[in-house]
Order: sequence, then C-alpha cells, then structure tokens
Amino acid sequence: MSSRILVALRVPATPARAFQAFTAEIGRWWRPNQLFQFTRRPAGTLAFEPGEGGRFTETAADGEVFEIGRITAWQPGARLAFTWRQASFAPDQVTKVDIRFEAVGSETRVTVEHRGWETVPQEHVARHTFPDAVFLQRHGEWWQALLASLRSRLA
Amino acid sequence: MGVKPGAALDRTLAALADPHRRQVVDLLRERPRRAGELAEATGLRPPAMSRHLRTLRQSGLIEESHPEFDARVRIYSLRPEPMANLKLWLEETEKLWSAQLLAFKAHLEGDG
Repeated sequence: MSSRILVALRVPATPARAFQAFTAEIGRWWRPNQLFQFTRRPAGTLAFEPGEGGRFTETAADGEVFEIGRITAWQPGARLAFTWRQASFAPDQVTKVDIRFEAVGSETRVTVEHRGWETVPQEHVARHTFPDAVFLQRHGEWWQALLASLRSRLA
Repeated sequence: MGVKPGAALDRTLAALADPHRRQVVDLLRERPRRAGELAEATGLRPPAMSRHLRTLRQSGLIEESHPEFDARVRIYSLRPEPMANLKLWLEETEKLWSAQLLAFKAHLEGDG
C-alpha cells in the first residue's frame, strides 16, 4: 500500500516569489489544523530557518519552541524538503515532506508530497493524536462501509 | 499482520454470516458495550451471546477489555483495523495539504 500523498495547486506568482512566500511567510498563511497539531498546546506560529539543516519550528504564544523537523533540501524557486514530526510520535518516527515549485506560464505549480506515515504505528498515532470523537466517528464510518459491502456480497 | 488477507477475509465473512453477530457489530459501532447489554439488546440468552462473542473475538473483529475499576466486567469493542487507520491518515493528510495550499494561494493573491 502506497503511503504517500500528492497534492498540487497553481498559484499566481513566479516560482521565486512562491518559494519565498512559502518559507519566509509561512507564519502568516498556515492555518492550524486540529488533527495535525504538533503539540498538545494551542497552535503557535510556524517558521523555517533558511538553508539546508535549518529548523522547521512552531513557536507557542509563551515563546516555547517545538522543532517539527529539519530542512533537507533548500533550492529557492525550485524545491523545499523537510522532515515532519508531531510531539505524539516516538523519537525515531518521522514523516517527510517534499515541495516543488514549477513555472506554468506566469504562474507556479506547487506540488506537495508527504510520505512516511507507514513508519508511524498507526494505532498509536490514531489513538493519541486524533481527538477521540473524530477518531471514533471516522472509525465508525469505515465499519459502516465495510458492513455495507459485506451485506451486498452476502445478499 | 501474519495472517494472509484472504484467510482473514474468510474468517470475517464467516463471523458476519450470522444475523445476530452482525447485529452485535452494528451495536458496537456506536460504542463499546458489556456482554449483558448486548444480550439484552439482541434478545439472546447470555450463554448464546457468549458463544457469538467468542466467534467474533476469534475472527479478530472485536476485542475484550476490563474497566479499571472492576476486572470481572467484560467490555467488548470493535478492533481498530491497522490498514484502515493508515488510510484514514492519508486521507486526512491530503485534506490538510489541500487546505494549506488554498490558504497559501489566497495569501499570494493578497500581494499588492
């Protein structure tokens, strides 16, 4: 089973401007997401330290810094790659994000690849990270679908 | 893992071939329940319910646990399916990035 996702969108900017806005301005456009909270604290502000080896961090309102990951590729106007961990992961568990910026006419196609979820024990992550209600609801939906398909096969 | 998917599916189908067992799975979809509750809801006698619960447990569909306050009480719940959890995460990860890219695009559109 493939465990990577690929999402792309065209944005109205040159690749150089898109890369700069993606990295330097992430604190202004990123929307905190309840399921992907990095720590149990209220969502803070994201930032990249420019250059390979730089840190990708979330800074809470009280100034505390959580290191989400490290930058593994920094090619302005072309590619950005970094590691991604949430506080609920075990120390050796990590996922990887790779972002590409390609010119399409006067615009830029931004492609996000996020992989490595199979390295994280799923039961652990789902139980510890998904808010219980969401997890139970989604789990219930899965069972509902399974039962519906079984019923049609048994009918 | 360790079990071939085909064999697991056969066991699942066999366990779900019985209407009472399907009813139990339906009830557990809502929330974990005690054996007594399940017997009452399905109108089965406790010994019959015990046999059905054993079959469902052996098929890997449900699991048994005890509340911390009383080891004599048995609570049954549906077992999380590992691949389903992975699929769930991939779906949610895809949604996350779709939303973030839209926010990023809106940010760039705000450029003067």
